[in-house]
Amino acid sequence: MTEIAHNQTVSDGRQEVRAQLRRPGVRLCLSLSVGFLVVWQVCQFLFGWVDWPVMRTWAARLGTSGAFIIGLLWVIWVLEKGAHFFQRRWVAGLPDRPVWRPKPKNEAIPGSHPLDPRAWYYGRKNQRLNQSVAMLSTYTATFFLLFLLLTRIGGCSEAYEMPAGGGQQMTIAQTVRVQKIIRKKFIVSSFSPISFKVPPIDEVKLQLMEITEHAYKVGYGEGKGAGFAGGTNSGMVRFIRLEYAGGDWDQDFGIGADVNMLIEYGVRTQQKVAKRTESRTIAQLKNFPIEKSPPMVYLTGQKSISLSDNEVRILREYLLDKHGMIFGDNGGSAGFHNQFVGMMRRVLPNVRPSRVPLDDQIHRVPFQIPFLPYVAPHGGKDALGWRVDGRLVCYYHPGDIGDAWTDDHSGVAPEIYEACYQLGTNVIFYAHAEYSKWLESRQKRK
Amino acid sequence: MNVAKVLPAALAISLFAAAPAGADRLDELSLDRWAKLREVERYQLNIAEKYYREKNYKVAAAEYEKFLTLYETSEGAAYSQLKWSLCQVQLKKHNTAIKEGFQSVVDYWPDAPEAVAATYFIGQAYKDIGEIRKAKKAYQLVLEDYPKHLAAVYATVDLIDLTTISRDEKARVQLWKRLTFETTRSKEAKNICVQASQQLATWSFEFGSFEDGINALESTYAEEQMPEQIRAYAGSAAGRLLKDDKTQKRGLQVIDTGVTWIRTHLPEIGTTDQEKQLARSQYYAMVDLQAVSGREQKVREIYDDILKKFGASDETLLRLGNWYKTTDRWDAARQQFQKFEDRLEGQNQVAQSYRQQQNYQAAVAAYQKNVAADTENPTQWTAQIAGTWVDAKKYPEAIAVYTELLKSDPENTEKWMWQIATCHRYAGKYREAIGFYRQCNNFPTNYQEMASCHRALKEYNEAVILYNQIVGGAPKSAPWAMLQIGYTYEKAGKKESAIRTFQQVCRNYPKDRYASQAHTHLQNQYKITVTLGGAADK
Repeated sequence: MTEIAHNQTVSDGRQEVRAQLRRPGVRLCLSLSVGFLVVWQVCQFLFGWVDWPVMRTWAARLGTSGAFIIGLLWVIWVLEKGAHFFQRRWVAGLPDRPVWRPKPKNEAIPGSHPLDPRAWYYGRKNQRLNQSVAMLSTYTATFFLLFLLLTRIGGCSEAYEMPAGGGQQMTIAQTVRVQKIIRKKFIVSSFSPISFKVPPIDEVKLQLMEITEHAYKVGYGEGKGAGFAGGTNSGMVRFIRLEYAGGDWDQDFGIGADVNMLIEYGVRTQQKVAKRTESRTIAQLKNFPIEKSPPMVYLTGQKSISLSDNEVRILREYLLDKHGMIFGDNGGSAGFHNQFVGMMRRVLPNVRPSRVPLDDQIHRVPFQIPFLPYVAPHGGKDALGWRVDGRLVCYYHPGDIGDAWTDDHSGVAPEIYEACYQLGTNVIFYAHAEYSKWLESRQKRK
Repeated sequence: MNVAKVLPAALAISLFAAAPAGADRLDELSLDRWAKLREVERYQLNIAEKYYREKNYKVAAAEYEKFLTLYETSEGAAYSQLKWSLCQVQLKKHNTAIKEGFQSVVDYWPDAPEAVAATYFIGQAYKDIGEIRKAKKAYQLVLEDYPKHLAAVYATVDLIDLTTISRDEKARVQLWKRLTFETTRSKEAKNICVQASQQLATWSFEFGSFEDGINALESTYAEEQMPEQIRAYAGSAAGRLLKDDKTQKRGLQVIDTGVTWIRTHLPEIGTTDQEKQLARSQYYAMVDLQAVSGREQKVREIYDDILKKFGASDETLLRLGNWYKTTDRWDAARQQFQKFEDRLEGQNQVAQSYRQQQNYQAAVAAYQKNVAADTENPTQWTAQIAGTWVDAKKYPEAIAVYTELLKSDPENTEKWMWQIATCHRYAGKYREAIGFYRQCNNFPTNYQEMASCHRALKEYNEAVILYNQIVGGAPKSAPWAMLQIGYTYEKAGKKESAIRTFQQVCRNYPKDRYASQAHTHLQNQYKITVTLGGAADK
């Protein structure tokens, strides 16, 4: 092969690449592919902006699947074109190596370019098949690695700030207002031919109504307005749920569901609350610095919970070093109960779950809850708690409390869903009050 | 004082008072103190105890409180306060129980026997709610202030449990030693101390010294019982050690030391049957311990020794045969079984070994020999033949044998009828199965099976009728049956009826686990969130 012929090949190759890209079909496909990615990201942003968490989740799922398929189609196209290119060169008696690679000393050695089906590592038999399998495996592995990198290894640091203020960690006083309802009086003629059973005329039915009276601020510490010592003026109570692999973490997520709880918390405690609920991956918990991390995260579902060792470490660090708390809720199966308890056994191997008594602070402040309300007894009838140094680092509700917070309250009786709201309020408040105490003690030590 | 009246009441209290697990006798009023109560006090206390026994803790607590209000200076006041606190624990109000109940007993009646119990119960209540540090403190108080009291034994047991959570092995061993060597083995504490000595022995064999293990066992068992105990506890420890390559050497060492210990302590083979039996049992302990090591030659040597010294008894042959089975030498095992003096039992063992090997034809042949040989009770072997055919999934053969049993053993008609029905069901002959199930009297189980057969035949209306009969006639199975009605409607394509039934399960039995299943099913299958459940655990 002379030097002139080689130069001619290089020129041919470049021209071919340009020609391929100039083809209208290819250009259209390229534009559509890029367009898909743009539309996907815009949709994600818009759904987040208008607070449609379910749609946002679906957009994320569909977008990821679409991106995978589009990428795969492009890989197949490139593979096909590359293979044809090398095949044509082989038929024409030209060297195996690609035009943009320097000429090897011995031209007879088989090439090593991955697009070349005759590359040495594809073997001697079924070279095209081996090439396809290798490329598919490489593409899939690369895609999932990238996916994990972009989703698991969180983003930049973020902070959670509690609302500034103060208050007392006490049970809200219940006042009883007595209301008299006087029944209708019937006047009956004793000469009437119609037989009528005369009811007692002056019967008075007493109706007792229990009304909650905000006699004091619900919060912790000294400060103006209901809130927490260690909070900031821009701070607010947020409801963050944990995303995890293996199950349906997004059960009853967003408007008409857990947002109701957040709103109720705001109404009942007069504290500032976020407009919508949020979700974070376990890896993203790492982005919250100490003293600015969420006092409580919510975890629910009805399937399995699959955590890596790293995620277990992050959760342990969140609970112990960052003074966080997990509010677990069994969203619908006995299997989830075992999953949750198993997860906690990994996170805190030296802590055993125990029943949370009805007179525990978490069941008394700010609302006195005389019984444990539940929608369905998926994981038994007792709330479980994991305590570290007397503090509840995890509160587990066995009976789908999240379902009672939805717009239809799952059809449960009003006293049950009201108790569920009160219990939710208590758990959120407990986590924030404990966090506030911890912040205060750290400030004093400094 | 009318002792005739007092005694039964006090005994009733001591017998029926529901105490927390592991805390028996701490919440009881002694007979002499009960005798000191006035009649009105006993009357009030009896009312409270009655509700306590009936587990109506809310009312019981109110009655105990009434006692305290009326008879504050009574001998039974501390007891009443203690029981009130235990009611609070049962009502899931542990903090109230501790602060307003047990602590009051300690503060107001420090010299009463209930004060010790209250201190222990404080620890237990703290442990129950996960306040480990406070629980430990309370238990330590019991151990320091009342080391000889039964409460100290219970406190030690709970502390051992806490050391397993904190993985504090050193403390656990100390506590085991306390229970094993330092505690007086009263009637109530005996079992706890025995258990502690066994655990200490197992731990010593596995991680400590063999001598310590022996000492722990010797604190509990007589010399002639020791070989069997060494086999049990050293064997289990060695079994765990042998599983890991790193500890395998130590495992073999434990076995060798154990075998040597037993061998050096072997008694003389006496002349009486009892003496021979004792000596033989110690040889069995030795061979069983050696078998854990998996060293076949050494095991075989001990068996040869046993056969030489005691002859080939059925028990020895059975053990030898079973050991052959564990080493996968089935033919050798059967050879031993065939040497049995009791031919029927030997043949039974042969048949069982064939069944274990899934050689059902040979097993049946072996059982048939017993049917022919056992003229007194051939039924039991015929039943075994039928069972073997069921194992082999040859249902027509099994049905034929069970039908034969139906004629030859009319006393157990129901049992054979049930077996025939089950075989028909396994064979997919649902209609025949229903016919036999109908003749059984074990409602609601037979109705459950019949309904299931109707569902398999796609006769959904019949299945629903049967399930409804269960709902009406067996309240305990009603939630399950109602849920099954829902599934049956679903199979029949009647979605609306199915949804209504699932909602009914949630509404009628909100505290039952089947309500949980119905709730989840409604959400997952039909995307219906209004499941109409909801309850409160008071």
